[in-house]
Amino acid sequence: MSRAYDAIVVGAGHNGLTTAALLAKAGRKVLVLERREHPGGLAASEEFHPGYRSAGLLGDTGLVRPSVIAALDLPRHGLRLHEAPPTVLALGDGSHEPIAIHGRLERAAEAIARISPRDGQQYRELAALMQRLAPAVRELLGRHPLDLVDLESERVWDLGKRALRLRRLGRDDLRELLRLPPMSVAEVLGERFETERLRAALCLPALLGTFGGPEQPGNMLELMRLWCLRGPGVLGGGPMLVAALRAAAQAAGVELRTGAAVTGLRVGTEGIDGVRLEDGETIDARLVAASCSPRLTLEELLPAGLLPQRLEHRIHCFRSRGRVAVVHLALRRPPRFAGEPAEFARTGEHVTAIERAFDATKYDELPAEPALELHLATEGDPGRAPEGHAVLSATVYFVPTRPRDGWTDGLRERLGDAVVRLLARHDAGLPEAVVAREVLTPADLESRYGIPGGHLFHGEHGLDQLMFRPTPECIHYATPLPGLWLCGSGSHPGGGLSCAPGELAAQAILASS
Amino acid sequence: MSDALISSRGKPSASRYDAIVIGGGHNGLVCAAYLAKAGRTVLVLERRHVLGGAAVSEEVFPGFTFSVCSYVVSLFRPHIIRELELVRHGFHVIPLDCSLSPLPDGRSLARWGDKARTRRELAAFSPRDAERYPEFGLAMTKLARFSKNVIDAPAPEPTSLSPRELLRVLRLGRGFQQLEPELRYLNAKLLTMSAADFLDEWFESDVLKAPMAVSGIIGTFLGVRSPGTAYVLLHHYMGEIDGAFRAWGFSKGGTGSVSNAIAAAARSYGVEIVAEAPVERVRMQGGRATGVVLEGGDELSARVVVSAVDPHRTFFGLVGEDRLDPAFVAQARRYKLRGSSGKVNLAVDRLPEFACRPGAGPHLEGDIAIAPSLEYLERAYDQAKAGEFSRRPYLNVVIPSLVDPTVAPPGKHVISCFVQYAPYQLAGGPQGWPEQREAFGDAVVDTLAEHVPGLKESILHRQVLTPWDLEQQFGLTEGNIFHGELSLEQLLFMRPVAGWADYRTPVRDLWMCASGTHPGGGIMGAPGELAAKAMLGARSV
Repeated sequence: MSRAYDAIVVGAGHNGLTTAALLAKAGRKVLVLERREHPGGLAASEEFHPGYRSAGLLGDTGLVRPSVIAALDLPRHGLRLHEAPPTVLALGDGSHEPIAIHGRLERAAEAIARISPRDGQQYRELAALMQRLAPAVRELLGRHPLDLVDLESERVWDLGKRALRLRRLGRDDLRELLRLPPMSVAEVLGERFETERLRAALCLPALLGTFGGPEQPGNMLELMRLWCLRGPGVLGGGPMLVAALRAAAQAAGVELRTGAAVTGLRVGTEGIDGVRLEDGETIDARLVAASCSPRLTLEELLPAGLLPQRLEHRIHCFRSRGRVAVVHLALRRPPRFAGEPAEFARTGEHVTAIERAFDATKYDELPAEPALELHLATEGDPGRAPEGHAVLSATVYFVPTRPRDGWTDGLRERLGDAVVRLLARHDAGLPEAVVAREVLTPADLESRYGIPGGHLFHGEHGLDQLMFRPTPECIHYATPLPGLWLCGSGSHPGGGLSCAPGELAAQAILASS
Repeated sequence: MSDALISSRGKPSASRYDAIVIGGGHNGLVCAAYLAKAGRTVLVLERRHVLGGAAVSEEVFPGFTFSVCSYVVSLFRPHIIRELELVRHGFHVIPLDCSLSPLPDGRSLARWGDKARTRRELAAFSPRDAERYPEFGLAMTKLARFSKNVIDAPAPEPTSLSPRELLRVLRLGRGFQQLEPELRYLNAKLLTMSAADFLDEWFESDVLKAPMAVSGIIGTFLGVRSPGTAYVLLHHYMGEIDGAFRAWGFSKGGTGSVSNAIAAAARSYGVEIVAEAPVERVRMQGGRATGVVLEGGDELSARVVVSAVDPHRTFFGLVGEDRLDPAFVAQARRYKLRGSSGKVNLAVDRLPEFACRPGAGPHLEGDIAIAPSLEYLERAYDQAKAGEFSRRPYLNVVIPSLVDPTVAPPGKHVISCFVQYAPYQLAGGPQGWPEQREAFGDAVVDTLAEHVPGLKESILHRQVLTPWDLEQQFGLTEGNIFHGELSLEQLLFMRPVAGWADYRTPVRDLWMCASGTHPGGGIMGAPGELAAKAMLGARSV
């Protein structure tokens, strides 16, 4: 039977585009359907106020997989990489000189050593340890997932081979590799560093994917992932990555339709054989790869009763409690933080204060003092604001997913005010420089981007949800429904701008046909 | 504590033994018994006047005997009971038949040994949960059988290349492989998830989830929403008395009788036990342990010295930092003890009457959990994180005098309250505890009195043990009841220090045999047994 397309990819985020481009490169006829008017998903630049554009919601482009860049020849499609990972300013609470955590290890260690020689040395040692552990972490996260549930003999052999490769680390490092992941970032950073605001700044990115504050056991794995896998990052950030992926996809022959919301998957005699759009149009394909969240795919796009009950329950239990908000600020002028200018900065003086901020959200309350991850979008591309103006985006750690009385306009404004007030500690004139702002609560993120709970990674990075992402039945990207595949952040190895789930899903699809 | 079990006070009969065990807690005694049974001459030195360590019964107030610290028995390994013939020496556990959870609104849930009865009680809160509860129990019991292999054998060392260790890792892997796929998934989730998240997948009613979740936090400085707390749920299905899974019990005469039974067994094999003989340090010569030095200066020689005190006290007290390799010291310093619980023992003049179920009855003969909701527990944890004791803590209450009348005068009762959280590290430092002891006791009594209206008037005496007291009186560093947290990175081959999970220490001929070693704390006896077998297997003694 001939069908219009070999594959339909649902969602044109970075993973969807990656899967589509890789399938098309392998000769498949591919259509990408995007609900919104532009591709890019969470990485897309958005005009949140006339003349002011964000750089998307995910600032960290250092995790983009070199294998994707090579396979899709992204440099030919406009992708440029920085020379070194970006510098991050640790602003603390504004009462001290910021610490510049340079992207280059030695410069960072020197800057830290000026505050505390011990911490400078510890930073060198931790970075060196992470560098040694990196091949192992890549082994675990970079390739297809280890399947601990379905232990056929062949896979056991593979498991053994991978275990043997881990042993190359040597005994001491192997012990660290096993000891660290279940720990909390607060503990590990506390074991090493004495400067509070350095600990606070270093722990923050590990908390984006996990549910909990810095003291939550298990979030050290997130920090290891970031330290071990991070490269220099993409010039222009997420939007430039999306542009390159899109160009590569189109060069490979991928068709992209925006404004095309998939509202259901079509079930034929042999499994999933197409999609249905909002306006009733149906499109046939031999397979559908969904880059949207597993829950959306399996709960909302499928007719009820189709999945095995156990899988239905497991998908229902896949945790995605978003605990961050994003505030985009349109500014008349760039922020004037102390220290050297940088594209990224983090506020927060104490690890315990960040922990308290999370605690409030457990009871559906707004914290007294959140910590902020700041991204100066106009540093990466000055064209995102009128001449001389700036766009500053703040990821707010933490807010409740659903406050007690819901997200009202009043509460949203309170959150925006709180962020501006916090920033005023580091740049007293900043409140007057605000032209406009957009506050995106987890509820807003959920409805705008279709991510359950507003979780930016389509599901939490708990240890169990990394091991079996999203469920044991689906960890190899295939679902129990023939023709339906998963290829988004809800699949191994998880969220962020790595393009890894998209790549591994494409490989699995190609290997199966 | 019968004096007959103690050979002499402070004065050993000889000056040279095959093995000297420092600390007469239940693990030290088990270890000594096994060594003596194998024909070695063994001396146990106990600092206090009573044996048992934290598994101790004391007549704290005239006529009232308390299981001062540890208060229920479940995980004690049945093969140790058999091999050491403990029943003959007085080991007798009375099973708990009920777990009661009172709610502030006057309702309550009781879970019984009788499954049909539990089902009826649960159905009043959630028919769905009533349906799933037996399913959950079945799955957990199967997993507990697998986990039993882990606690009944030395920890496999995955970083070693020796054939013996590889074989152990493979054997464990094979056991895992033989589980049904569904159970492998559950097992992996149990190891990594929080108790609350795990239970959320099964049940909907808080009244059930909260008292179940607490088993994951006992003895740790974690909350029910902290990953890594789920796997301790298994322990509740591992408790076995006479081979029956999922049974907890009181020891007749208090928990100290367990220690006494082991001590009696040990003596029957020839172990010499000396109380009030505090050890000052391990005597060393050329980097190896050759004996001990008692407080007061007396020296005793031994082929091996076995420490039954916690790792912190062993390395930084008995050995001393200056006699250890700095790299090892750095590792050992990272070992987390972080005590988080306290104990309040009450002597009362009448049977406590719970508002939710007035009058006497079998519902009071089990354990009673003051844990009305997951949020209640999480808030209690948040206070502890801030360096305060919980104003409304989790309480696990038992009234042993109801099933064992020997522990209180007729008509009167003893109430034991295990309390969490009571962080050792108060915001102002642990030395602030003596000043806060009574306020802490008040918080506990207030919390319980909300469910037992006449409680305050009925109290004759009260003993309040803060983590500080547990450290000062029982030698538990930072008041940690398990000699160190049972968190994932401190278990198996990493307990207490990676590379030293085989009961050995960097000091040759100094061994460890207590809760700070694999498989950890609780009245199991397993570390003591495994340590003794390791020493005998290595022909070190």
